[in-house]
Amino acid sequence: MQLTLARHPVTDLRFDTPARLEGSILLIDRAELRRLVLEDESIVSVDFDIARPGERCRAGPIFDVIEPRAKAPGCGADFPGILGAPITAGIGTTHVLTGAAVSVLAEISPDPTRSATGRVLEMSGAPVEASEYSSLQHLIVIPHTKPGLPRQTLEKAYRLAGIRVAVEVARSAWNHLPTNLQTFEPVGPGEKGRDGRARVAYVGQIFSRQRKPAVDEPILYGANTDGMLPVMLHPDEWLDGAVVPSLHSWFGGTETYFYQNHPIILELYQRHQAREINFVGTVATIAGSDNFDRERHCRAAANLVKWNLNADGAVLSKYGGGLPHADLAETARLLEGMGIKTSVMVSDVSRDRRVESALLFNVPEVDAIVYNGGNGKQWEVPRVDRIIAATPEFTELLAGPMTIDASNIVGITNQQGASRMRAMVY
Amino acid sequence: MPCPYSRLSPRAYPEEFAMRIAHYLNQFFGGIGAEEHAGKELEVRDGAVGPGRLLESLLGNDARIVLTLVCGDNYAVEHQDEVTASVVEKVRHANVDLFVAGPCFDAGRYGMAAGALCRAVQAELSISVVTAMSEENPGVDLNRDALYIIDSGTSIANMRNVLDKMARLSRKLVTKEPIGLPHEEGYLRRGWLRDQLVEKKAATRLVDMLLAKMNGEPFESEMPPTAFAPIPMPAGVKNLSRAKLMLITDGGLVPKGNPDRIEGTAATRWGSYSIEGRDDLRAEDYEVSHGGYDTRFVQEDPDRLVPLDALREMEKNGVIGKLHDEFISTCGRSNPLSNTRRLGREMAAKIKRDGVDAVILTST
Repeated sequence: MQLTLARHPVTDLRFDTPARLEGSILLIDRAELRRLVLEDESIVSVDFDIARPGERCRAGPIFDVIEPRAKAPGCGADFPGILGAPITAGIGTTHVLTGAAVSVLAEISPDPTRSATGRVLEMSGAPVEASEYSSLQHLIVIPHTKPGLPRQTLEKAYRLAGIRVAVEVARSAWNHLPTNLQTFEPVGPGEKGRDGRARVAYVGQIFSRQRKPAVDEPILYGANTDGMLPVMLHPDEWLDGAVVPSLHSWFGGTETYFYQNHPIILELYQRHQAREINFVGTVATIAGSDNFDRERHCRAAANLVKWNLNADGAVLSKYGGGLPHADLAETARLLEGMGIKTSVMVSDVSRDRRVESALLFNVPEVDAIVYNGGNGKQWEVPRVDRIIAATPEFTELLAGPMTIDASNIVGITNQQGASRMRAMVY
Repeated sequence: MPCPYSRLSPRAYPEEFAMRIAHYLNQFFGGIGAEEHAGKELEVRDGAVGPGRLLESLLGNDARIVLTLVCGDNYAVEHQDEVTASVVEKVRHANVDLFVAGPCFDAGRYGMAAGALCRAVQAELSISVVTAMSEENPGVDLNRDALYIIDSGTSIANMRNVLDKMARLSRKLVTKEPIGLPHEEGYLRRGWLRDQLVEKKAATRLVDMLLAKMNGEPFESEMPPTAFAPIPMPAGVKNLSRAKLMLITDGGLVPKGNPDRIEGTAATRWGSYSIEGRDDLRAEDYEVSHGGYDTRFVQEDPDRLVPLDALREMEKNGVIGKLHDEFISTCGRSNPLSNTRRLGREMAAKIKRDGVDAVILTST
């Protein structure tokens, strides 16, 4: 497998026809994108807007953030299994508009019991130093769906609108020379010339079956994970569109952008290239809905790491809510029992800010824990010049000034390892 | 002649600020005597006494211990309410900026008294308080979540070092500077979390930690393991066919309209709902207030969560004596322990009142 990321830095977005890339300015043809988005019968109209770093602007609720990327012609499918045939991702050249993002808004709150606003994108003020998204040029996609559709139909429409637009705008880079070509050194259980380096694997949950997925819910190559056992993926498959977040989990802190720029995978790649480690591969797994499921998934994931990847160490991350912490800890425990050292990354679950409420497992072998923060930090954010929202209600709700929880700013309570917000014990 | 640059010393306070301090000591450090004087009543002295003198000098020229309170260890513990009330009043009248107790090292009664006094002064007078104890002092676990307790270790030989840490932390508390982490300031972990932006993103820390662990280098988990006191298994029900059973769920099943407004996340309330005369829970009578699991199957048939149908059958067949006329419900999602302990205690009180012998807890 050999993925080449052809990077084109983008420093500004503008609306114009025809769509094109002029130097580092991306010109976007709204009419063309509108035609594309409206192919989905669930969407009756769509608006577009632009949010720039430093601008006194707030957008929300954010359903997803996607990096504009397009496979070079003949190199395979974008988001295989969703937009095209489920052929292997991670092969050949993919054009990337570095510094840009396509961000999709929703017309509903993801979880009214936890947050009325959903997650918002702040482009100015104090929160920007905590979210990588604030430094990107955002094309905001604002879909308006047919009234009365079931929630998962809406969410699927948002997902498809976002990735279709992201691919389409990135195609403007097709005929341009990239500024930078990024390739990664070969990774695999049998790579030669790395004797003596620690063999390290990544085990990442991609779904939590706390909720049964919709029949047509795209997660892994378009499949909804029903009947799935843990599976080995090449790291380039994660980076190149094989995995997207589930439809219901847009409050959980996973966005398509950080699959495409997976912080853990990129970190392991960097150590691999520096000859610090031998990155042997990854396993994609799911959190079970009950102990029976959990046993099956955790054992299968641990077995792949041991017997197929022959790893000495593994880093693990979770997906979804509280329950997946149990699967995470159990998989790590099984690995430790096989002599494979582990470290795990968990979400901040302490709602009373007490250390005693911080962990959802107590497994002595799981002794290397990275703890994300976000439940205890708030900012006073001012009224801003511009609110980008899909409904008048959200425009009003997001206007400010208001107190906003860090967990309600997209990019901070990130389960893919992108955040620098840490809950410190004191 | 005073040095003209003295105000530029690192210990200088903002503009003309003179810190007034009250200090609590036990009979030993107060210079009265050892254990044989532990029954000594509270007494008040003007100015600094014993370790207070060193503390004063470490705090700098503009800090003054205006009041020292000395009490025997036994007296303080045996007359805690009286001593506390008296100390709070005296500190109130002294109009101070800071209350210091100890350092207590591993002296248990001294630590308990110092902790109780610091808490009371902090709560009633809203002024800064600092104390110091060794980790093993029984005063620590009772008070660590409420107080800054400098880690004194057990050796009195460390007095100067301990007082220096107390002085530094005191200055920060009084001038409302941000307080650093336990290892930076020298206080004992309080058991709280606070969010902070750190230099490295989580992914980098995750890989760093794994590599340190694999290389046998020291690493520090970002979260200590949580340990809970074991809960003894209750005795089994002797005769189930005579027992009164009750169903309790944290799966959020509530009557239509959610009359008790039980929250779908971190519920602060619970409800008790009649099932008298029913053999089955009908979907149209109930809803689910819980955002953490796929509730569709329970909504279709609430007996899947609160198995009334099965228990009625067991009741008819004489397997159980009687099913209680009500079931209890709350929502267990993302609920902190400080909250669930209270919910549990309240439910247990009701269960006892209602004469229930055994409970089946169903969770999701």
